[in-house]
Formats: sequence, structure tokens, C-alpha cells
Amino acid sequence: MLFTLLLLTASLVIGQTVQITGTVTSSEDGLAVPGVSVTVKGTTLGAITGPDGKYVISVPANAKALTYSFIGFKSKEIAIEGKNKIDAVIEQDLFQVDEVVVVGYGTTQKRDITGSISSVSGESLKLPVQSFDQSLQGKATGVSITMPNGVLNNPPVIRVRGYNSITGSSSPLIVVDGVPIFTGDISTNNSASNTLADINPSDIASMEILKDASATAVYGSRAANGVILITTKKGIKSEKPKITYDVYMGWSKPYKLFDLMNAAQYVEHKNLARKNYNDIRLLNTAPANQTPLDAGTMFFISYDAAGKPIDTNWADYIYQTGFQQNHALSISGATKSTNYYLSVGYTDQAGIIVKNQFTRKNVRLNIDQKVTDYLTLNANFGYTNSFNAAPNTGSLAGQAFNTSGIARLAFVTAPIVGPYNIAVTPNLFNDGKFNLNGNNLGVWGNPGGSLGYLNPIPVIESNKFTSENERILATFSGTLSPFRGLTLKTVYGIDNIGNEGISYQSPIQGDGYSSNGTATNTFSRRNRWTWTNTANYNTVLAEKFNISLLAGAEEQYSTINVWGGNRSGVADPFVTSYQGSWVTPLNPTSLTQTENYFISYFSRVSINYSKKYYFEVSGRRDGFSGLAAGKKYGLFGGASAMWALSEENFVKNSLDKYLSDLRLKISYGRVGNMSGIDNFGSLFLNSPGIYGTIPTLYFSQAGNADLKWETSDKYDIGLTFGILKDRVQVEMSYFYNDINNLILNTPQAPSKGIPGNTIPQNVGSMFNKGFELSLTSFNISKKNMQWTTTFNLSSLKNEVTALAPGIDYITGYSGGTTETTNRTLVGYPIGMIFGVQTNGVDPTSGRRIFLDKNGREVLYSNYVPVGQSNWTYRDDGTTAPAISIATDGKPLASPLPKIYGGLDNTFSYSGFDANVGLTYAFDFYNYFGSKAGLRDQRFWNNSVEVYKNAWKNPGDITNIPKPVFGDNVSNGSTMVISENVEKGNYVKIRNLSIGYTFNKLPEKVGIQSIRLYTQIFNAFVFTKYTGSDPEVSTNGDTNLSPGVDRNTAPQARTYTFGINVNF
Amino acid sequence: MKKLNILFVLIFAMLITGSCSKDKLDPIPKTYLPDFSAFDTKDRIVAQVNGLYDFMKSGQYRGGRFLIYIDIRADNFNNLLSNGVTGYQTWQNLVTESTNEVAGLWTQVYATLNAINIFIEGLDASRLDPGKAANITDAEYKQYKGEALALRALCYFDLLQLYAKPYNMGAGANLGLPLRLKAYKTPADNDLARNTVSEVYTQILADLNASEAMVALTNGTAILNTTRLHRNSVIALKTRVYLHMNNYAAVVTEANKIVTASAPFSATTGVANALQASISTVFTSPWTTTESMFSMPMVATDAPGTQNGLGYYYSRVANSSPDYSLVATGIIANAGFTAGDARRGLLTINSGKTYLNKYNVDLFIDYVPVIRYSEVLLNLAEAEAQAAGVVTARSIALLNAVRGRSGGGTYVAGDFANLAAFIDKVMLERNIEFLGEGLRSSDLLRTVSTIPGKATVNPVPPTSTNYIWPIPLSEILSNKAIVQN
Repeated sequence: MLFTLLLLTASLVIGQTVQITGTVTSSEDGLAVPGVSVTVKGTTLGAITGPDGKYVISVPANAKALTYSFIGFKSKEIAIEGKNKIDAVIEQDLFQVDEVVVVGYGTTQKRDITGSISSVSGESLKLPVQSFDQSLQGKATGVSITMPNGVLNNPPVIRVRGYNSITGSSSPLIVVDGVPIFTGDISTNNSASNTLADINPSDIASMEILKDASATAVYGSRAANGVILITTKKGIKSEKPKITYDVYMGWSKPYKLFDLMNAAQYVEHKNLARKNYNDIRLLNTAPANQTPLDAGTMFFISYDAAGKPIDTNWADYIYQTGFQQNHALSISGATKSTNYYLSVGYTDQAGIIVKNQFTRKNVRLNIDQKVTDYLTLNANFGYTNSFNAAPNTGSLAGQAFNTSGIARLAFVTAPIVGPYNIAVTPNLFNDGKFNLNGNNLGVWGNPGGSLGYLNPIPVIESNKFTSENERILATFSGTLSPFRGLTLKTVYGIDNIGNEGISYQSPIQGDGYSSNGTATNTFSRRNRWTWTNTANYNTVLAEKFNISLLAGAEEQYSTINVWGGNRSGVADPFVTSYQGSWVTPLNPTSLTQTENYFISYFSRVSINYSKKYYFEVSGRRDGFSGLAAGKKYGLFGGASAMWALSEENFVKNSLDKYLSDLRLKISYGRVGNMSGIDNFGSLFLNSPGIYGTIPTLYFSQAGNADLKWETSDKYDIGLTFGILKDRVQVEMSYFYNDINNLILNTPQAPSKGIPGNTIPQNVGSMFNKGFELSLTSFNISKKNMQWTTTFNLSSLKNEVTALAPGIDYITGYSGGTTETTNRTLVGYPIGMIFGVQTNGVDPTSGRRIFLDKNGREVLYSNYVPVGQSNWTYRDDGTTAPAISIATDGKPLASPLPKIYGGLDNTFSYSGFDANVGLTYAFDFYNYFGSKAGLRDQRFWNNSVEVYKNAWKNPGDITNIPKPVFGDNVSNGSTMVISENVEKGNYVKIRNLSIGYTFNKLPEKVGIQSIRLYTQIFNAFVFTKYTGSDPEVSTNGDTNLSPGVDRNTAPQARTYTFGINVNF
Repeated sequence: MKKLNILFVLIFAMLITGSCSKDKLDPIPKTYLPDFSAFDTKDRIVAQVNGLYDFMKSGQYRGGRFLIYIDIRADNFNNLLSNGVTGYQTWQNLVTESTNEVAGLWTQVYATLNAINIFIEGLDASRLDPGKAANITDAEYKQYKGEALALRALCYFDLLQLYAKPYNMGAGANLGLPLRLKAYKTPADNDLARNTVSEVYTQILADLNASEAMVALTNGTAILNTTRLHRNSVIALKTRVYLHMNNYAAVVTEANKIVTASAPFSATTGVANALQASISTVFTSPWTTTESMFSMPMVATDAPGTQNGLGYYYSRVANSSPDYSLVATGIIANAGFTAGDARRGLLTINSGKTYLNKYNVDLFIDYVPVIRYSEVLLNLAEAEAQAAGVVTARSIALLNAVRGRSGGGTYVAGDFANLAAFIDKVMLERNIEFLGEGLRSSDLLRTVSTIPGKATVNPVPPTSTNYIWPIPLSEILSNKAIVQN
């Protein structure tokens, strides 16, 4: 049977031929269109129109029709009917319904997509940014991307249609050219390593974000968070190789640093706080022993040798204007049988924080070779070396309270001393050395014990942290088409990352102090291979039923090996590397040796009748090594239907004037999330260790053999249509995502002594629902003038519906477990900001008003006369129990934006082009924890606002209490208070660019076109949020403590200038 | 065409089979040992016994913090850095149910207890398993189990020091601890009520008595005699426990098993435990003299961790930034701590502040004492006098043995007007001798004394709620049967 079919195909190729010529023109302006592909319908025979739009094609005598297709135009079919000359007029396709879109394990035409997919072309991602995730912001409906801060290479927080897990990951599966890649921060030290940044953004041809279960079901157990498919570029058929060179350089500046008190203000304010403290202290002292506040207990300004007062702005030492440059060169082209894309890239970027430097070198070679009519081989090979150096910024996930985190030191440290000993009065220091006092900043005689945690300057100068990736991301594939309609494909892909982490911390100051200097080297190797075999069969039955079948099997095996060593005790300060000589020999660090394996079978059936009624079913069976024996397999699937209403005559006739291409889509599916399942999570394990010098074995993991995937039931209904003859295209959808079997680390009574005090169980449930709208408006689309507006809006409602039995909430922490900032509670969105309600400041006493659990007002004073209570009821002055989060805390606000999206305007006229990209998010709150620090009444420097507005006299109406030295409660340092929770609503001008393209260059120059452009990235933020930027994530990608802005570095604003040359 | 068919068939075959690798679907971890094979060899069993000690040795527990908490609650230390991470709230006696120290210690001690219970259950099961029973001899079985039982007793005793009212308040009738005596591996059995203090003591003594009959007389080497329990060290722990119950007769009975009738006092059976000529020997490398009956060993590769080491908290040595100095008006100002006392050699003065330099080799790697022979002598001195109701010659000799060893002077009977005066001197001696060894506030609590104030911290009388710690919030939330202090 197969053989006969093959013969049939072959026989088509042989036989009599006829030559047809013609010209292809555009309906818009009547001009010739070059590069149009003309094919004989039902064959692969084809030709391409020349610069004048003319073509010549030899067609078999029995050929029926010719098909004309070209990107940006609707494909057109014309019957041959014996003609020798056929001129075709093709119509611009604003909707691009013929555009090929990548879907799971295949491609399809845009018009045939029944699921919910956002497609973003490489062209629209083409911004001068370090990593593609930065340019994807605001571009795709339903996709929220947050840059945590301005620290280089810090991984983004990506959410597709909200949070789909609680303790697992809510980040989507990212698949590059068919290979699911490693994601997240793989660095082992303070320099971040965003694995997404290993991909050169200029190599990306397109990105598809699969959102509903119909689109993602074919990825089964890893599909719950959505799937991002990234396709790298291929050569495009052209007469000669296309060479492009893109270079840009730019400058980044920190955006909106805190406005801090200067030395004079600091002294004035802190002495007021001291006086307020002392006034109370006097009440505690017998009259005979009372001494007035004397100079010896007051802060003072120091002077340098020239008599100039010391006024240190620590941020000046910590932030900088960082220079960056980027070069990308690509050569691509295609012949009849080969198509290739070769690129090299180099980027070098200095951050807004001193000593933060990212360098990436990469090479990519993508090649398709048609071996025979039925066999094509393809290789995509990408190599990247990325190197990131950073100081301890204290701005990566979990670091918020690092005492040596310099983002925090920039605003905590007092301005009245300097980094070097240059002060001459009143205490003579002029040795030119670092101003130190043990492992603290020196105080030059000022009272109070401390003026700063650390002197950040030696920490910055001496300590180093680097993380370097060597990565090969490659696929090799063979595609066999034994007969028409059937495609067999085998793809073998690897993602191998070697990461080397090197750190040195000096004995002078900081975290290396107590161990007299320390050096740590780590090496991690992540190896993954994926082998996918698919069979795809497309056929048409009865001329109306278009059927597409997919069946496939996939294996994926990943190993992670991490090891490292730590040495301490410098032998000679000259030695700063691990390989040198150290006193304390070696401590192993960062040891991990793990693996996992997936074996999967999947299938998809797509049927459409006359391109009018569509139906699709897909399923996947996944086996995962991390589950207990006998429970390793899970089944996932989805179904969708689409009705192209506009193809129906009754709709066509009545609505055609207003509406075009009206489609109604509906889908349902069940997919999984396995990110919460540890590779050996089902096993009961003992770990080896040592007791002094003898070996031990200790109980280290209570496993759970009943663990299974988290499941997401996703429902989606959507409508797409065009208005005003497709000038405006609209896509709307409503989704509901019901998530069950959430893996929660069920808290165990600590007295049971189970390691970690938790056992993972499938117990929780949650839902996300929302509405998505995307509008594309081709305001002007003339040949020499174009203006396009795209707008997208997503709404999200997330609610946790069940946690583990007996568990009322899960605590979300910031900075390790230092601060409890969030709670995930049943009946609320995930990660609610949780704290105590405050109600301003009592005008009479200047004390902060806290509300206890019953809503009764309680005043606080950090220091009180003997016999009085720190906490008193405001109404009657009686003693109140101390306010605490545990007793009086409430869910204060949700940090999840209810509305978010983007607005892009692209304009071009003649050679000019301009682009304005906006992102926005509304109806969400941030916990501005840094504000607690900025108002803390210990030695910490404060914001100018505190200097100006702090309560001073009875009757003052203010929100900043009476300063009492040492007070760390009134302003929220010891617990989250509502005073520090702010609405985050913002509209951000993400990028603003203008460019000019020189097109008609003399041929002699050898250059086709040159584009000069300039851009501002992170140009402006319109917000009432008083922190540096409402787009922030102190805790990285966590689900449990989002929306926290605590001691983190600000965002960067980047100005770039670039040249793009096409040869 | 033929070739094509072959290729086609081959690929399609692969597609169908997927060449599934069954072994990859059932991976065995390379760095962990699944529990079912933990008792397969003698070496693994011994490694597990060592693992129990290692649990106890955690910086959160007896590797550092437990001792620190007991000391800084009391009157000898001044907090210098106001750092919440290094015991500031504990020092102020202002911990709450959600303070890190309160949860951290509870969690680590109970983790140790569960490891012990898992080991005991597994060991007993392996004795009944014909395939495994021959891995160890009966004597070895007894030794290992005996060690585990004594460790369990010590865990409960240590928890009582902070989370329950002392035995001597209400004769043990107050709420003690939930007694977890079985292995926990599953989500079941979260709820367990607290037993009374005296019930916990009963369990502690049952375990210690059983242990005494099972553990080895000696572990063979100096280091093992210091870092693993043997009969004398188990007996020594019993003297401590009985003393806390004011069961003086029992203290005398137990101590007499390992203390000779007259000076020089030493143990005549088992390990030859005795005082060292010089206290400084005890606190220098290799820390394994016969005076150190039980200590937690430390090496650079197995240190208690930053902000956990005793040296890190107290010592003024290279690269130190100690959190605590000694209260100028405290024990170091006491006339009874004479100028010539060798134990003043364990102090150091820097910029006008006095620091404890007992752990002075490094910030982290000094061995951490659990019990020393000098404590047995002082326990016996106190108990013998209390039991007799009068100051006995031997009790004075015992006190003098400790005091005189360091050149602190010696007492004669005429120095003590009455029994109380003698007990005062014993307490003074304990305060000097065990400074920074994690006994001070326990001694105050067992005698139901007020915890004296220091600097800005007020005294804490026994009636005050902060006389003991609260049960941690994490336990309250997950164990519905528990009752807060």
C-alpha cells in the first residue's frame, strides 16, 4: 500500500511539462511583488518571482492550478485551464492568517489554530536587550514578565495566565527548537546566572506562547504553566547571502535612587531622636543621678584635613553609569537544497552596580540540507559562553537581609563617616586606610555603637563573585517524507551547561572576616538529552475534510552534578584564588548529584471541515522517574473546537461590512506540573556525613510514595475577528484554570522530628481565571508610511481554594526566613501581603497607631518610663498586649496585578521609524519593605521625608512617628505594617526608539541598507508608588512571597545607540 | 527505494518503541542511602550511631547554640551587637513563640530524637531479620542501643531546661514535653499532648538506667571516650539529672560509682576519668583528656557553622567580632574568683571589655563540652552535703578538688557557717568553673532562683512568664494537642 503511494507520488514528477509565465502584483498599489513563491498545486514544483514580479514555471500537463504565496499576503490559487500566461494580483494579508506558527511538535497556519497561542515574531522582539525575556514584556497577552531589579542577569519572573503552583514552579516550560531547556538561576554564588540570557535575542525568529490546555496538552506533565516555544532563525531564499551586522552601545543608569538625609540632616535628626530617648531615660533615673544630655552622647559631623565636613553619599560608591556594547553578525541564505543561518554575537555590559559585568559570546549555525526529495537533514547548533561578575548586591532571591548586600548598605549607612580614614576632627584619623572597626564600619568617636553594618568599599573592592556558563544547545534532526502527507521526523537535542562559580571574600571586611578570608570554587554540569520521534500525516478526505495526525514518542534524560570546595584563612593576602595557599584546607560545598528521566508518548488529531469547523484532540502519557514505583505514569490531554463563523454564508452576508474572519474557539484539557516533585522525592533516604572525623549516616528525608503530578484543568473560550476590512483585529478569550492536587509541603509537628518538618503531599487547590483582549490596528499601511498599534490586556483572578488539612496558611518569607511578609490563605489570592494594620500617627503623642486583632487602636513607644508599658490602648491609656504578626496580623493586600498588559505603537515613514512600547499593571500592591528601613530609628540613615515630616510637636498630623533613638518597631522593621504597603499601579514606557534607514545606497558601496537608531529602555514610569519601581521582586521567582520590595537594587534605565547594516 | 524503506521502517520502529530505558525510570540516588539498606552492614550501623551524635552536634543544638542560650539568658554576658540572629532576644529574655531561637532549638532537638527513635526501631528490627542479625554481636547491639537511649535522655533533659518549668517548681507536676518515643516517617500522628515534667524525668531515668547496663565500659581510644558515650559518662549524666530533681541520695549513689572515696578523686572502673592538673589542658587540642567525659568534636570540615560556634560568640581571637563580653560586675568581679585563679587565664581583656576565651583555638573548632568530670565532683559535693544535711568533710574535699586545681584557694570547714553557705560556695564554683559551658541558667532554674538582670535587662523572677521559653509557634500550629506555656 505504502509502496503504491510512493510510486504514485513519483509518477507525478515524471511526464509532459508546459511552461507558464506571468507577473505578480499587489492589490494595494499595483506594483510588482518580488519573491513570491509560485507552486503547482499539489506538488512541490515551484518558482520565485524576480525583482520585476515576473516568473516562469514548468508545470506538468495534468496540473490544475497554481498557488501564489508570499509573507504578508494572502495566498491565492488560480486555475491553469490551459493558459500559458497567468498574471496574479495578490492581496495584502494584514491578519497574516497564512503565517506559519510553531506549535507543539509541528507547525500550523495561523488560521488553523484552535487553541490559545500568542505568537511574537523575532522582529518585534528586536530590542537592544541582554535577554529575550526583557523584550517579551508586554508583548504577549496573558504573559506577565517581571524583571526583579537592575542586577545584571537576574532571571525574570514569567507567569502565563497567573500562578499555577504554590510550592512548585509557576514558570513556563521553555522549548528551544524542540528541546526543553534548563531554566532559572544556576549560579552558586552572588553573581546571578539567568539561563535564558544564554540565547542571543537576535537569533530568535519567533516565539509562541502556548496558553490553554489544547495547545499545551501535548507537553503533558510539564504544561500547566504554559509553554514558550522559541524558534531560531533559518536562512531565507535569496539570490545571494544576506549579511547583517548589528552593533549598539549604551549606557545604563540606576532609576530613582532613594532621597536620603545628608550629613547635616542626619546629625540633626538623629540627635533629636537621641534627645527624645534621653527625655524618657531621665524619667527612669533617680533625680540625684540625672545628668543632662551631654555632647558625649550626640552624633556629630566630622571634617577632613581641609576642614570640609564629611558628607558621604554611599550610593555614589555603589551605583554607576554602566557602559554596554553589543555586536551581532549573521550570514544567512538558501539555495535549492541548503538553507543556512550563521551568526556570531558578542555582548559586554556593565551594570548600574559597580563591578557588575556581563559578557556573552555566542555562535549559532543552523543548517537544513535537503538530501533527496524525501529526506532533509537539519542541524541547529548554538554555543554560548556567558560570564557574569557581581558584587554581593543583596538583591537576588533570599538575600534581602544580607548585611553585606550593597544595595542595602547604600541607604542604611550613616553619611557622617566616610569609607577611608580622612576625618581630622574631633578625633584625629588620617591614615588613609579603610574606616573600620572590627567587622563594622568605623564610627570616628560617634556614640551609639554603630554607624553602619559594614564598610561597603573594601567589600566591593576586594570581594569577587563570578559565574561562567559554557553551553551547547543543539539539535540534529532528520525528516523523511516517504510519500505525500506523511512526515517522519527524529530530533535529537542536547542542552549541556557547564557553570563555574568562583568567589573570593577578603578578610578585611564582610562575610570573609570571621574565617580570615575565604575562596570558594564550584562547578556544575547540567546535561540533558532529548530524543523525539514523530510521525505526522496530513490528508484531505472527500475534498473537504482536512485531517492532520501526529504520533510521537519522546525521551528526556537530565543529570545535574554540582561540586565545589571552600578554603579559608589567607596564607598571604596576595593569594585570592582557591588554587593558592590557604590555612584551612578544604570544605566541600554545593554538592548535588541527581538525575531524572521522562518517557513520553503523545498524539494529536486535528480535523477541519472546509476550514470552517475545526476539531482537535491531543494527549500525552508521561512517565517520570521521580515518582514512586508503580505510580510513574500519568495521562494528560486536551480537546478544542473552532467554528469559523465568517465562512458561513449567513454570517458572511450579514456581517461582512463590519466583521471579517470571525472565529469562535473553545477548549478544555487537563495538564500537569511536576516541578514540585523532587527527583528522589518518593524515597526515604539517609545521607552520609561526618561526626568530627568519623563517617556517619543520618535520616535525611521522609519521602512520600503517593506523590503524583499537580493537575490543571484548563477551560478556554475565545473569539477572534477583524473590523474595518481587517484594519483592526481583535482577539478575546476567557479562561478558567482549575488546579488540583497541588503539592504542598505539609507542615509536620516539629516534635515529630521529620527532616525539614514537612512532607510533600498532593493536597491543595487553586484557580486562575481571567479575560484576555488583544487588538492590532493597522492605522496606516501604505507602502512608505505605516503605523501599527497593538494593545493587549489581561485580567487575572487567582484564589487558593484548599490547603492541606489542618493547615490554615503557608508563610512566605523574604530574605531567607528573616522576615515573614506574605501568607497564602484559603479564599485569597496566593501570596497575600500579610501584616498588621496601622492607622497613622497619634497627633497628641506622636506614637504609631497599630490596630489589634479586634480593631482597637494601640499606641507604641519604643522606650517608656519604668512601670509603663510600651503598648497602650489609645482610647484609655491602659496597657495593651504587644502587637504581633501572629496575633494581630491580617491579609493586607494582594500583590498580583488584576489587570496587566502592553501597548505598542510602531510608526514608519520613508526611512524613519519610531516605536513606543508601554507596559502596565493595575490593581495590585507591593510591600515596600525598604521603607521600614528608610524610617528605622536606629543608626540607619533615613529618607529626607523622615527629616521633614517626622512628628515633632503635639498636634502634628503626619504618618511618621516621633523619632526615638533605637526604635525599630514603629516604622515596620520588626513586622510588616500596612503603612508600608502601597498600591503598585503603573504605566511604564518600556522602550522608546527612533531610527532612520538608508535604503538606496549606491551598489558600489556593497551595502543594501543601513539603519541608525537610538532607544531608551525603561524610559519612564508613571506611578504613585513611592519605592524605586513598582516592578520589583525581591524574592525572585517565588510563588509564596511575591510583591516584596525589600533592600533591593533599583531598576536600570538604558540609553542605546545602534547601527544595523545589511550587506 | 529499498534504502528508503529500510530507513522508514527503522525510524518508525524507534518511534513505537521509544527505546525506553527502564533503569532510567527507576534511578537509585548516588549520594543517599535508601532506608531499606541502612542496616545491611555493621559499618552502616556504626555510621548511623555516629549520625545520632552528629545530629546532637548541630550548631543549633549542642554544637553551640544550646550552650549559648543557657548562658546568655543568665547574668554573665553582655550583648554587644544587638543582633537578633545571635541571641539578642534570648539575652533580653524577651523571646516569643515565633523567635528563631525558640523554634530552631526545639526543631533540632526533636530531629535528633526522631533520628534516635528511627535508629532504635531499625536496629531492633534488624535483630529480628535473619539476613541482618549476624551483622553485629550482642555486645555491639547493646552498646549501640545503649548510646542511643542515653542520647535520647539527654535530648529530653536539655529540652526541659528551656521549655518547661523546673522540676523543683511544683515537684514535676507542671507541663513538660510531648514524649515522642517512636519513629516518625509519615504525615500521621501530628498531635501529641505534653507529658508532665515528672513523667519526662521518669522517661529520662529509664533510658539512662537502661543505657548504663548496655553501653561499653570503654570505647578504646581517648577520642572515642570523649566523643562517644560509655558507662562512666552515662552515670555522669545521671548525676546531673538527679541533681535537678533534688534527689540528692541518688546523686550520691550514682556519683560514687565513678568517684573514689577520697582525694585525688577519680573513676576506678571503665574509663579512668579524673581532673586534669591544669584547666587549660582541658580546653586545648586535642580536647580528649579523661576530664572531658563527653564532648562534641569539631574539625574545620565539620564545624558548627557561622554564628553558631562558641568561639564566634565569645572569644577575642584573630578575626573575631564577638557578640558577647562578660558583664563587668558579674562573676569576673566576684571576690571569690581570685586573682590567682588559673581560670582567669581563660579570660582576655580588649579595649576595656573582658571576654571569655575558653574557646580560643579558633572561632569554630574547639570541642564543645557536654559534661566534665569536675561537674560530677561538684554535683556530688552539693548532693552529699544536702543529703547529709550538713557540710561533710568529703563534700569540702570535692569542692576543693575543683577549686584548688586552678589555684583558686581552698576551703576549710570553718568557712561555712551552715549548709546554705556551703551551697553558695558550690554555686559560685560552678559559675566560675563552667562559665560559657551552658549550665548557668539551668543552675538558677533548678534552684528556682531569680535570673539576675544585666545592663538594660531586668531580672526575671520565677513567677514571670519569661522565666522559661514558650513552645514554638510552629508546634502550636501543627500539633493541636499541645498547650502553650
